[in-house]
Amino acid sequence: MKKTTFFALNLLAAFFCVATAFAADLPQKIVIGHPEALSGAQAKAGEQAVGGIKAVIKWVNTVQGGVKVGEKKIPLDYKYYDCESKREAVTSLLERLITVDKVNFIMAPYSSSLTLAGAPVAEKYGILYMDHGGASDKIFTQGFKFIVQTIGLGTRYHVGTLNMLKKKDPASKRLALAYKDDEFGRSVMEGAEAHAKKLGYDIVFKRTYPPTVNDLTPLLSELKASRPDIVLGGGHLADGQLFTQQMADLGIQTKAFSLIAAVTLPAFQNALKEKADGVMGPSHWELGVTYTKEKAQKAGQAWIGPSQDEFVKLFKEAIGKDLRPEYHAAEAGAAVLSLVLGIEKANSLDSGKVRAALGKITFMSFYGAWGIDETGQQVGHDLIDAQWQGDKLVIVWPEEGATGSLLYPKPAFK
Amino acid sequence: MILEQLAGNLFQGVVLGTVYGMATMGLSLIFGVLKVVNVGHGAFIMVGAFTSFAVFEYLGLSPVFAVPVAFGIGMALGMIFYYSAIRRLLKGPELASLLATFSFGVILEEAVKQLFTSDFRGFNWDLGKIDMGFTVLPYAKVVACLGSIIVALLLYLWFNRTRAGMAMRSVVEDSVGARVCGVNVDWEYALSFSLGIGLTVASGVLLTMFISVGIHPYMGGEYTLKAFVIAVLGGLASPYGAFFGGLVFGLLENGSYVFFAQIQGLEPFAMTRFFSFLILLLILLLRPTGLLKAK
Repeated sequence: MKKTTFFALNLLAAFFCVATAFAADLPQKIVIGHPEALSGAQAKAGEQAVGGIKAVIKWVNTVQGGVKVGEKKIPLDYKYYDCESKREAVTSLLERLITVDKVNFIMAPYSSSLTLAGAPVAEKYGILYMDHGGASDKIFTQGFKFIVQTIGLGTRYHVGTLNMLKKKDPASKRLALAYKDDEFGRSVMEGAEAHAKKLGYDIVFKRTYPPTVNDLTPLLSELKASRPDIVLGGGHLADGQLFTQQMADLGIQTKAFSLIAAVTLPAFQNALKEKADGVMGPSHWELGVTYTKEKAQKAGQAWIGPSQDEFVKLFKEAIGKDLRPEYHAAEAGAAVLSLVLGIEKANSLDSGKVRAALGKITFMSFYGAWGIDETGQQVGHDLIDAQWQGDKLVIVWPEEGATGSLLYPKPAFK
Repeated sequence: MILEQLAGNLFQGVVLGTVYGMATMGLSLIFGVLKVVNVGHGAFIMVGAFTSFAVFEYLGLSPVFAVPVAFGIGMALGMIFYYSAIRRLLKGPELASLLATFSFGVILEEAVKQLFTSDFRGFNWDLGKIDMGFTVLPYAKVVACLGSIIVALLLYLWFNRTRAGMAMRSVVEDSVGARVCGVNVDWEYALSFSLGIGLTVASGVLLTMFISVGIHPYMGGEYTLKAFVIAVLGGLASPYGAFFGGLVFGLLENGSYVFFAQIQGLEPFAMTRFFSFLILLLILLLRPTGLLKAK
């Protein structure tokens, strides 16, 4: 045998051995673990998130054939438990998912406080922790290295709203801020206050209210006395409904009224009917927003994932009922898409390598743009503003994505 | 301006307090007669709230009609839970009945979740409102307040003017003596438990007249906490004490807000809780039996 042939055969054998060893190291499936709130106060958002994740996993496995690592396409698998909206359950379930179920990556539960509760556990095991629903900036000031956010920053929630109102009516300057006293609410209030001052608003009222409140009358009576033009506030759905009902009960008429994380949910309007008319709120995503492959190309970004219509169909199949996906579902689905791109770019299932790869990725999906900074905070995604006009939720900001114009001043509560 | 706010808050506090009081009477009645602490209390309030929602949304009727329906559902649930569990646990350690009532709460929450899902429900029962100058009061709240007072009066009359009520009181005074006099003590226990649960479920309807949104399977927790504070304030074993405890609690919560709002750097809402619990502690130290003794 010639020397060169012998050398080539050895090289081929070595390559085959390495390739076989690499393939043998790869699992049959990539398991995403998830302690999600399927009961308790955050159950509604948790159900949506699980539906969104299942929908996107199905798309990845059926349309894309799995996640490409090396030459192999590995299907995604999903293991989730109900954390009952309790912080202590999040930590114990995370331990179980990591040490017993041996999952490869973790999706954080919905809400800032639950996400924050689980972050130290993920950090301890050095496993990637995908934050789909924890918006508080505080999550990213603790020095965690394995957390990656898809939901936008809490401090930016009311920035677009204030820009829109300033443009619409620069003369109305009396602003009232009243948010729920939790990580998320405080974070939004901090951002709104800073931006309002920059725009020249007079903050005539600024208060927080307890997370488990069931009567806001004292706070709203004080707010009424401050005679605001604009009221910004809220926290989540239950207190958002209460806030609006008691604003109407006390006959507090303002030119604009915006609440976070409540208004864009159909349950808000279903419960309040005409009292919801003119109330608006920021959102990460709403049915009707028009993010497409063409828009991604125009923006110079990669496109991945199902179209909006495909996502809605997959979501309904995943959840087993005719339920409209809300932004909780979309952002959780987008978090899975980012993970897929991260694994493919890193060409590895190692959390550290995938985390590093995610830092270099920007992309667009049905959810919109995605991109993080060095701390893992989402900086690529912009929020929209939507307003109830009769029984229709109209996207009113930003102007380029609006499906209708802003109803201003807000119709008075009857 | 401050006086106007104070007057408005105190007035709203009285209105809310009557509903809080009504929502606590069932808890006190059950403890007073059976010495069972119903830690699943809030879940029964939640059942009432869903009854109100269902009567309004699905039958198109005023929530007022939901009060007797909820009372009937509560009585039936009370009988079922009494004969299936509580009766066997009355002579056991206190922890057993406490855990049983906790289990009732969890079972109800999950059952309602299966029926109605975990959505936050609500309805819009708008009767208009009265502008009193210092505050605005929706008529729905007036109905809730009057309803609570009427139910409390009916309970008072039942206890003091009927043989059945007197039989129940005799069991509280001396169950052995009552048995000797021919009172069916076991039946009185069953009746007290189901009456307490009936009142609690009915109070859930009245609470939805006050706040008709945020109805969901896990809404009861906050009401359980408040009910225990109010019950202890009024005297844990006294349903009437609980009613007055509710009034005091409503006044403290709403009235103290105005004072704390004047202090820079304080979040008045958080301080109202601090203040309410401080007063509770003081009452317990100075008058451990609560505002009214058990009757």
